[in-house]
Amino acid sequence: MDRSLRTRLDARFGAQLTGPIRQRHDETEIRLGAGDLIEVMTVLHDDPDWEFVVLADLAGVDTGEQMQVVYHLWSARTPDWLRVVADGLPREDPRIPSLTGLWPGAEWMERETYDMFGIIFEGNRDLRRIYMPPDYTSFPLRKDFYLPDDAARSPGGGVRHVERSHVPVQATERVVRRTVKA
Amino acid sequence: MTEQSNHRPHLSSDDPRIMLDGEIGQFENVPPYPPRTEREAEFYTLADGEMFLNMGPQHPSTHGVLRVVLKINGEQVVDLDPVLGYLHRGVEKLCENSDYHHIISQVDPLEYVSSLFMEWAPVMAFEKLLDVQVPRRAEYIRVLTGELLRVSSHALYQGWMALDLGGLAPILYSFIERDEIVEMLAAITGQRMLFNYFRIGGVNGDLNHEFMSRLGDWMSRALKMHETNIALLNENEIFVRRMRGIGKVDKDTALRMAVTGPNLRAAGVPFDVRRAHPYSVYPELEFDIPVRGANGGGDSLDRYLLRLDEVRESIRIIDQCLHNMPDGPVMARLPRLLRPRPGRAWAAVEAPRGLYGTYAISDGTDQPFRMKIHDPSFVNMQLVGMLMKGNLIADTMAVMASIDPVMGGIDK
Amino acid sequence: MTTLSRSWGNMTTLGKVVVPLLLLVLVGGPILTIAVGLWVGPWLLGVLSSNMGIVRFVVAITGVLLFSIPAAFIIIYMELKVIAQMNLRVGPDRVGPAGAAHSVVAGLKVLTKEDFTPKSADVIVFTWAPVIVFLTAVMTFLVIPFGPGFIDPVTGERVGGLVGQDMNIGLLYMFAVGGMTVVGLLLAGWSSFNKYSLLGGLRSAAQVVSYEIPLTLSVVGLILLAGTMSLQGIANQQEGWFTNWFVFRQPLGALIFFIAATAEANRTPFDLTEADSEIVAGFATEYSGMRFGFLFFAEYVNVFIVSALITTLFFGAWNAPIDINAILALVGLTPPVIALDPGSLGIGLLVLIGLAPVVLTALFALPFYLAKSSRPAWKALLIGFVLFNLFAMGILTLLAYIGWGWFAGLIWFFIKSFAFVFVFVWMRGTFPRVRIDHLMGFAWKWLLPAALLNLFLTATAIVVVKSL
Repeated sequence: MDRSLRTRLDARFGAQLTGPIRQRHDETEIRLGAGDLIEVMTVLHDDPDWEFVVLADLAGVDTGEQMQVVYHLWSARTPDWLRVVADGLPREDPRIPSLTGLWPGAEWMERETYDMFGIIFEGNRDLRRIYMPPDYTSFPLRKDFYLPDDAARSPGGGVRHVERSHVPVQATERVVRRTVKA
Repeated sequence: MTEQSNHRPHLSSDDPRIMLDGEIGQFENVPPYPPRTEREAEFYTLADGEMFLNMGPQHPSTHGVLRVVLKINGEQVVDLDPVLGYLHRGVEKLCENSDYHHIISQVDPLEYVSSLFMEWAPVMAFEKLLDVQVPRRAEYIRVLTGELLRVSSHALYQGWMALDLGGLAPILYSFIERDEIVEMLAAITGQRMLFNYFRIGGVNGDLNHEFMSRLGDWMSRALKMHETNIALLNENEIFVRRMRGIGKVDKDTALRMAVTGPNLRAAGVPFDVRRAHPYSVYPELEFDIPVRGANGGGDSLDRYLLRLDEVRESIRIIDQCLHNMPDGPVMARLPRLLRPRPGRAWAAVEAPRGLYGTYAISDGTDQPFRMKIHDPSFVNMQLVGMLMKGNLIADTMAVMASIDPVMGGIDK
Repeated sequence: MTTLSRSWGNMTTLGKVVVPLLLLVLVGGPILTIAVGLWVGPWLLGVLSSNMGIVRFVVAITGVLLFSIPAAFIIIYMELKVIAQMNLRVGPDRVGPAGAAHSVVAGLKVLTKEDFTPKSADVIVFTWAPVIVFLTAVMTFLVIPFGPGFIDPVTGERVGGLVGQDMNIGLLYMFAVGGMTVVGLLLAGWSSFNKYSLLGGLRSAAQVVSYEIPLTLSVVGLILLAGTMSLQGIANQQEGWFTNWFVFRQPLGALIFFIAATAEANRTPFDLTEADSEIVAGFATEYSGMRFGFLFFAEYVNVFIVSALITTLFFGAWNAPIDINAILALVGLTPPVIALDPGSLGIGLLVLIGLAPVVLTALFALPFYLAKSSRPAWKALLIGFVLFNLFAMGILTLLAYIGWGWFAGLIWFFIKSFAFVFVFVWMRGTFPRVRIDHLMGFAWKWLLPAALLNLFLTATAIVVVKSL
């Protein structure tokens, strides 16, 4: 847990952060809006004070109410991982600028996020489906895409009826739409 | 449920519903629908003298089911587009519907060649969510088995590399090495391939006598076998000539392509998660990070040689683990039903192919809310398209093999 | 009798017609043949002896075709077993004793597969391409000298020999016919309507054509030294001690020839045409059944041809490495002439033929019977019989070797050829594949100048020696 990182981030990006900086174990998390993303990322990448050169992960998250894109970065200057959460993306039309200008290797990671969530990365030259067939129309990892046995719960919370997978979702009452607090 | 897509009739020769009776004699554009992105337009328009060659999902040497569409001009590859998804199993979605314990066996088949690493990062992430302290003996066992598997994976890499270049013998020697290690691990885990050994809070069982005796046997000849395997190929002029100078990646490009692992280290960047962001008991162990291609960048030969160097370092680590192994429990005491507090955790390990990370979000129930898996081969595959421009078809295989992809991880 | 009547009753009407006819043919056939033979025999012999050339030709062709398939079988088996041993595996070991019948069964399997023509392939060309490849491979057998001829008492030189047709442009014929393989490969690649096949066909055409030039140039030096293009002539000149072999007089030529021949035969490390880790099976991707069998066998026949050629040109063909006659002459002996007349033994011959197997079997079985008390007598006798057979074959082979020059030559030829086949198989198990541009660069930039250099040096040496 790097306290100095927190103070530095607060000092530099305080205006653009949309939430408190959280730190847990060896991770530091900052939250931004989609519009500020490129600016902040450029500073984090290019500025020799920060030097976050390794993009470790690019993930999409569907919190149930909104969509987020989560980036993990590594720098030699701090012992923590930096997690940048770009949240506030509306579920109907999630758009976010693409990171391929800074990290061309983010292209496929953004394709995967688009494929699974439907988040449009503006500026990505190749935003097409990567796992699903090209004419697929749904986004599998969204929370309203139910697997047939989504109605079943684990033994801790209910009864698992894997054999009910042929039953259409409307017939099952125990489907719980999951959400998580930002 | 999912809305069914309305099937537009199209003349793609890949579509099994279409019988090409009348329209034979022309090679259709791939894909048949108008290109939707810039890159698609760039790739799928043919200039004069070019043609598409499809190294289809069934192919003797695309490391799994991978389809690579090559745009060739004679023997020279002008552009390359890998098409993924043939092995997509929806692991992340399945993980959202599984218990925390069940995820360990679900996550094994990503990079089935080195499956203990695939378990390691999720287990670490969950331990962070649960604030669990893993006993030291368990950590040492994790490192020991992990490094053994790294040796096995790199030995297999050597064999694949030779096989893709046409040499039929080295892969069998690689499999001898892999077989010994896998038998060792089968003695403690009960499995030869998808080990399902790590648990949240430790490992599934302590080391036993059979494992120790096999390990002792193996350690006594490990370095010598390694030298023999090296001697099989390194001196071979044909082999070296086909790898030298092919697929050169320099430092900056590699970092910008988000490449990690031996591919990054062979490009000159000394980034290894075990030293950059130490986890488990790696801070106590003495080992070096081999780096190649520090000036100018690394080619396929550097990537190959680097993995051989890493095997030596892994053997060193195994030796130290054996000597410093503490006593104690191998599993922390945890309830059967795990319900971590709502929160988020990220954990990354150094898999044989690169940085393998898991981002887990918990919503307080016994199933994770979101589990994102960052697979190194997925990101490394982007290098192939970049490196292949201007090389020959035969080099496609060589470059792809030198990057060491495993389709299970790429397709999740 | 009841069985017969019951079987007759169970037969269909057709059967009741065919079976008696068959019996008639079985019994009457040989009688008829003998009768006809006796009647037309002398006339037939007359016709044959007056057209000895054609008869010889036909016999040679038949022999060549009949020989090529078993040769291919043996080489395939060798390849599978030897490469397996190099890979620390076992190889085929189920089908025959130690898997020896594996390639035969594989050949039969290839015959029974579905004969499939892709819909949009050019059917005529598709069908004829493997035939061309196979024929051009087998036709080259015609000029290879398998054994020596007899020494003509008048001229003192060797005449004839175990050659199909001893042309005086034998080497030229070989290269000409062998070069037609590329036509077959190209046709196969083109007619398959498959991009992989096309690539494979083009690659192979480029490879074979490029390597033909160093191949032919490297033997021109040899032709200069030997003075003849006839292969039997070249073999005759290597008689005597092994130092007479051309490999010591043309080492560079031999090396170039070996490398270029590997490329001609599409063998590793030059086997991109069938690079199965890149373009699946190259030009043969769309072939199945016997057509694939043709292409497959043609490759192995090519391997044998190339080994035979190397043996003939550089390693003394059918000559033994040591000159027995010279050694015996040193000691003062003359080589034994086995002029055994079996008729002179009279009744003794019959006794020998009848008694020898029995006595020798018992003799060989005795130690085995006595050594292990639990072994039943019949088992010991069986072992004894097998050993007797081996012994008898050994004695007969020895006699044939000493007595018939051509037999000795044949044995040496096969030993040497299969040694080179083994080298080819060894290379396949060891080397990775070269890339197409390395391959072409190597042929044009290294082998061709080396062959020219060899030619230049040879010609210079001849002129210098002649002028001295």
